[in-house]
Amino acid sequence: MPITSNPLSEAFALSGVSKRYDTVVALDNVTLSFSAGSTTALVGSSGSGKSTLLRLLLGLEWPDQGVVRVDGRVLGKDDVLALRRRVGYVIQDGGLFPHLTALGNLSLLPHHLGWNRERIRQRAEELADLTNLPRGVLERYPAELSGGQRQRVALMRGLMLNPDALLLDEPLSALDPIVRYELQDELKPIFDQLGKTVIVVTHDMAEAAWFAERIVLFRQGRVVQDGRLADFRDRPTDGFVTRFFQSQRRLGESSV
Amino acid sequence: MRFLLTALLTLTVLTASASAAPVRIGSKQFTESVILSEVARLAARQAGIPVQHLRELGGTSILWSALQHGDIDAYPEYTGTLTHELLKNVTPDADIATLRAALKPLGIGITDSLGFNDTYAIGMREDRAAQLGIQRLSDLAAHPDLRFGFSNEFMDRTDGWPGLRQRYGLTQTQVRGLDHVLSYRALSSDAVDAIDLYSTDAEIPYYHVRTLDDDKHYFPHYDAVYLYRLSLQHSSPAFLEVLQKLAGRIDESAMRRMNAEVKLQGEKETAVAADFLGVSPDTDGAGWLSRLLQRTAEHLKLVFISLTAAMLLAVPLGVFSARSARLGHVIMAVSGVLQTIPSLAMFVFMIPFFGIGTWPAIAALFLYSLLPIVRNTYAGLVGIPPHLRESAAALGLPRGVRLRRVELPMAMRSILAGVKIAAVINVGTATLGALIGAGGYGQPIVTGIRLDDIDLILEGAIPAALIALAVQALFEGIEHWLTPRGMRLEARD
Repeated sequence: MPITSNPLSEAFALSGVSKRYDTVVALDNVTLSFSAGSTTALVGSSGSGKSTLLRLLLGLEWPDQGVVRVDGRVLGKDDVLALRRRVGYVIQDGGLFPHLTALGNLSLLPHHLGWNRERIRQRAEELADLTNLPRGVLERYPAELSGGQRQRVALMRGLMLNPDALLLDEPLSALDPIVRYELQDELKPIFDQLGKTVIVVTHDMAEAAWFAERIVLFRQGRVVQDGRLADFRDRPTDGFVTRFFQSQRRLGESSV
Repeated sequence: MRFLLTALLTLTVLTASASAAPVRIGSKQFTESVILSEVARLAARQAGIPVQHLRELGGTSILWSALQHGDIDAYPEYTGTLTHELLKNVTPDADIATLRAALKPLGIGITDSLGFNDTYAIGMREDRAAQLGIQRLSDLAAHPDLRFGFSNEFMDRTDGWPGLRQRYGLTQTQVRGLDHVLSYRALSSDAVDAIDLYSTDAEIPYYHVRTLDDDKHYFPHYDAVYLYRLSLQHSSPAFLEVLQKLAGRIDESAMRRMNAEVKLQGEKETAVAADFLGVSPDTDGAGWLSRLLQRTAEHLKLVFISLTAAMLLAVPLGVFSARSARLGHVIMAVSGVLQTIPSLAMFVFMIPFFGIGTWPAIAALFLYSLLPIVRNTYAGLVGIPPHLRESAAALGLPRGVRLRRVELPMAMRSILAGVKIAAVINVGTATLGALIGAGGYGQPIVTGIRLDDIDLILEGAIPAALIALAVQALFEGIEHWLTPRGMRLEARD
């Protein structure tokens, strides 16, 4: 199922989706849609349901109520394998398999799909150049990589099949501030240049605003506000938005 | 892995060709039985008939079923055992002709008595008996103050003390239970006046014991005979002739002397039997080195076949356990229960299914190997961090590919540790295989325990321990080699 890059069409959508784990409500009657080729940031404190949303879009979880649509079609269990191959998914610490080298991690799916060694290497090197990863690093194991290198490899793994969409779950949260800043700088043009549907989950408002024009703020499984950065500053829907917005500390502040 | 398989096949072929279907005679796990089978083997060798002696296979039930299943062709038995334990439709005083008729429908034949009766008897010190004028069991009634020391088995059996007391009207009240091993010493040190014994015990002449005459014929006859498969009439009539010619040739004192030579003087059964027949003893499996090599081959065959089969089943079982909690509970419970079956019992349980020899031992070891491998496969798989398992799913890999390329390699270390545990346990437990005719390092251990011969025990125990260490080292090597390099690295930050 292709996720079209026609900017007018809707790549992903949720309508009336609720999801709970035992007593914890992860998503509560959420309706959202993501148009093809757009970049959206989901923000909120931990446990607000934003990661669950990504997992629902990949068929890693299924809603208790409501439906998930991909390309206008309700997502069913038979669609997930094909869907996942059209979507790159990157998680907080990369999710690289420790028993395989970086190249081994990149090869898993293409190899299964019958790509030959040469084609895989070529694509890997192309992506290494794109993400500023030295090619020699491809032969290393995850344990031998720095945090920033690991996230680059994870992104490359998501991009191997040139998917239509990228779902990123706190991709930079585990990195130290300098590396994080560098990667933010590098990723932004990549997203712009690839023109894919990107949904990035973060708890950092500045990072959200850096990557995306559209920001969706979650609180306890509900959407509190959906809009541009300026809307959050100028037209907050309630006090929580303001508190969340202001709780992002700026340099120069001190506790005195 | 290919190397192991090749080695295994070679071993199998070697052990198979080493035993090109000679006549097989078995013996029970006590000295007299081993001597009688050696006598038959050497007598047959004298007549140019190759005979393999499967030594010390176990107790009566094992030999009896092995004979019926054709795992062995003959073994020495006692008429009293046939009348009291093995045959249902004969009276306790049945003679050999009656037994022969009763055995025939089972396809089993019986020789005439070898010439001695190894029954229960009551014995007293020669000097004490002479002093009191006691010759016969009837004479005991006149001495109510005598102190008796009886083996626990004799105390309990209805055809033991309770019946004896009734038949002879005995009134003695000082009756103590003793271990049979200690009873001769208790008698000799005057701690008791009379003990129960077997009439061919080696200790009888050594301790100067008088066996009292069973004048009211209370004790059943335990005439020694050979039982054999009637099919020998076609397959090896010459061997049958040898067995039948031994009838009547061994009297009580000859048997007692042979028992004494083995048990008290430390002679080998082969030497004693050869001496009795007046032939030269053969080397019985050639020199020390070839004995060791043969046992090593037998032992490794048990371990490798059982372990390989266990891996083929246990790894999939571990995978299923990790997939479904409910199925996992059942699989773990069943393999856990298997593990609690005492190992000796496990070996004996396999006999009805596989007869005696290598295969029941392999089956028992196989069952023992399951739990460590299932459990470690399960632990290795459920120990994979959930986010990594999910990453594999999110890539769009089908389940089977995820298992093969991601989950099993990550669990490999744990799985191999389970295989290693199973292998080391197997090397030790396989020594019990000797009890059911599987050979291996257990053979000298079993014989050594019976004869209280430390050197012989060590001849089995030391190589078994060395092999266990070697297996451990081998698996540590395999573990290092098969564990993906990335799994051995510590994360950098």
